[in-house]
Amino acid sequence: MRRNGVFAKLFSLVFALFMLAPLVVVVGVSFTPEGFLEFPPSGISLRWFRAILDNPDFIDAAIVSLQLGVASATIATAICIPAALAIGGGRFPGRDALQALFLSPLTVPTVVLGIAFLRFLSTLGLNGTFWGLVFCHVVIIVPFVLRLVLASVVGLDPSIARAATSLGAPSLTVFRRITLPAIIPGVVGGWVLAFITSFDELTVTVFIVNPATTTLPVKLFSHITQTTDPLVASVSTVAILFTVALMLVVDRIYGLDRLLIGEGSH
Amino acid sequence: MAILELRDLTKRFGATTAVDHFTLSVEKGEFVSLLGPSGCGKTTTLQMIAGFETPSGGSILLNGRDLRSVPARQRGLGIVFQTYALFPHMTVEENVGFGLEMRKVPGDERRRRIAAALDLVHLSHLSGRYPRQMSGGQRQRVALARALVIEPELLLLDEPLSNLDAKLREEMQLELRRIQQEAGVTTLLVTHDQSEAMALSDRIAVMQGGRLIQEASPFEAYDRPTNAFVSTFLGKSNAIDAHLEETRDDGAVLRCGDIRLAGPPSPARPGPVLISLRPERIELCDAAAAHVSGRVGERIFLGDQWLFKVETSLGELLVVRPNSGRREPEPGETVHLSWRTEHLRILAAEPAA
Ligand SMILES: Nc1ncnc2c1ncn2[C@@H]1O[C@H](COP(=O)(O)OP(=O)(O)OP(=O)(O)O)[C@@H](O)[C@H]1O
Ligand SMILES: [Mg+2]
Repeated sequence: MRRNGVFAKLFSLVFALFMLAPLVVVVGVSFTPEGFLEFPPSGISLRWFRAILDNPDFIDAAIVSLQLGVASATIATAICIPAALAIGGGRFPGRDALQALFLSPLTVPTVVLGIAFLRFLSTLGLNGTFWGLVFCHVVIIVPFVLRLVLASVVGLDPSIARAATSLGAPSLTVFRRITLPAIIPGVVGGWVLAFITSFDELTVTVFIVNPATTTLPVKLFSHITQTTDPLVASVSTVAILFTVALMLVVDRIYGLDRLLIGEGSH
Repeated sequence: MAILELRDLTKRFGATTAVDHFTLSVEKGEFVSLLGPSGCGKTTTLQMIAGFETPSGGSILLNGRDLRSVPARQRGLGIVFQTYALFPHMTVEENVGFGLEMRKVPGDERRRRIAAALDLVHLSHLSGRYPRQMSGGQRQRVALARALVIEPELLLLDEPLSNLDAKLREEMQLELRRIQQEAGVTTLLVTHDQSEAMALSDRIAVMQGGRLIQEASPFEAYDRPTNAFVSTFLGKSNAIDAHLEETRDDGAVLRCGDIRLAGPPSPARPGPVLISLRPERIELCDAAAAHVSGRVGERIFLGDQWLFKVETSLGELLVVRPNSGRREPEPGETVHLSWRTEHLRILAAEPAA
């Protein structure tokens, strides 16, 4: 057991290094005073952070990404709460089909999804619009939200809602006062995961944006195909800081490991 | 007048009939137990009374009013669930106050009633705690206080003690009885634990396969079971196959193999019957006075009593004797057994299983 423990720790350490190394490089590069990508940086300078301010394209793209993330995560969560309550609440005809439908975007290659969305949105005349993007992102992130919300619903004792009903609560009150607070860790976890997934989604989005709705990942991608200045690194560093801050806040409130491992109830 | 009346209550799930023409009435202030083995339909019956399952047939009357069209939330019943079903994100006080809040009871009165309910279950000092910070027994009491604070006409308890360990269960039995009597609330308890049903109830309704088998006071159900199932489900019992030869006003004549036994007067018709004899009613005696003799096969010490398995020509008989410090027969020893005639119960023979 003990030897196993040491081995497991070593493995985790190597794995963590492996995961973190690219981030360290990106953050390191962003502080370079030079006009090209170098690592380790030859000095410390905020030059490329100031450069962000001179590139309103990036700021616009970041705002689109934020709005897109918030809108699609919120809509996906709103769809997944009732779906998870139904799927986790018991057997009914079509239950497995419903669950399979919600999880199906995971099984389709994203490139294929991207082409499909392009055709679909063009037909509807929504291609390149913000709400067209929102629609596609909702489809992509729904499986993630559903999995997390479902994990809390399944851990929920069905007699809790019955107890509230027997005490005289109308069904909307039961949901608002009892069920929702009991599954809120899964709901918040699902929303955050959905937001992050939407925020850095590239493969599908690249097919369906237009210049007015370019998202941050698409902007970075197209910038990198044209030049190799460290601006992409400083933008990425800001995005990383933002994500870490979001995670820290959520962790403080709900405990991240509980959210992501799916231990919904107290 | 009966507070609760179940008339021919029936529930079918597809091909299975979970509750089958179940009829029972509960009087005001009474403590009635539904007792039966796992899967006999107890929970289903309770859920129908609570309004969480729709009966397939029959009716439920609360104070003479048919509950068919009354939704669960308007029935005003106090329910304690097997899992307690406390609201995990609310404190004890908020849990207990929830029903009052739903009834729009004003703040002052609400606080007073919460305090009284917590006092009743001896939990006043823990009102600020969350359920996860409490022991099983304490959660149990919170659930009870939450159900009682709305002053329900009827309290429904679904196996409320089954999640507690044996020692705590016994304590809570006494506690539950005290609380029920202090609150004076009519109570229907569901349990598969015969000792719990006997300790708590004024009346026991024994259920088997969705049907009512016997309805009696605990003493009567134990001492005068009306069928073989009840005799073995409530406490231990020796069931002996016999043939009823003759019944007279002053007694019956029974034959088991080549042994003739005298039995109490019985309305049963001559033919195959089942004799039920409680192990604690069998005494050790001299060879001359014995109804039957046998060899002690096994001897089990239970602390306050001894349990013997005696091989006799009537089959293996269980004999229970209080541990009063005297010498008890050893395995292998020959013993002579006797009993008073009136302690034999003559029951209809079980249909061949
Ligand atoms: N929702 C359901 N669908 C189908 N069958 C059910 C359903 N609920 C209960 N049953 C069946 O009805 C019968 C009675 O179940 P019930 O839960 O009332 O038993 P119980 O007496 O409470 O048993 P236990 O002591 O194990 O709790 C069982 O055979 C069970 O399988
Ligand atoms: Mg049950």
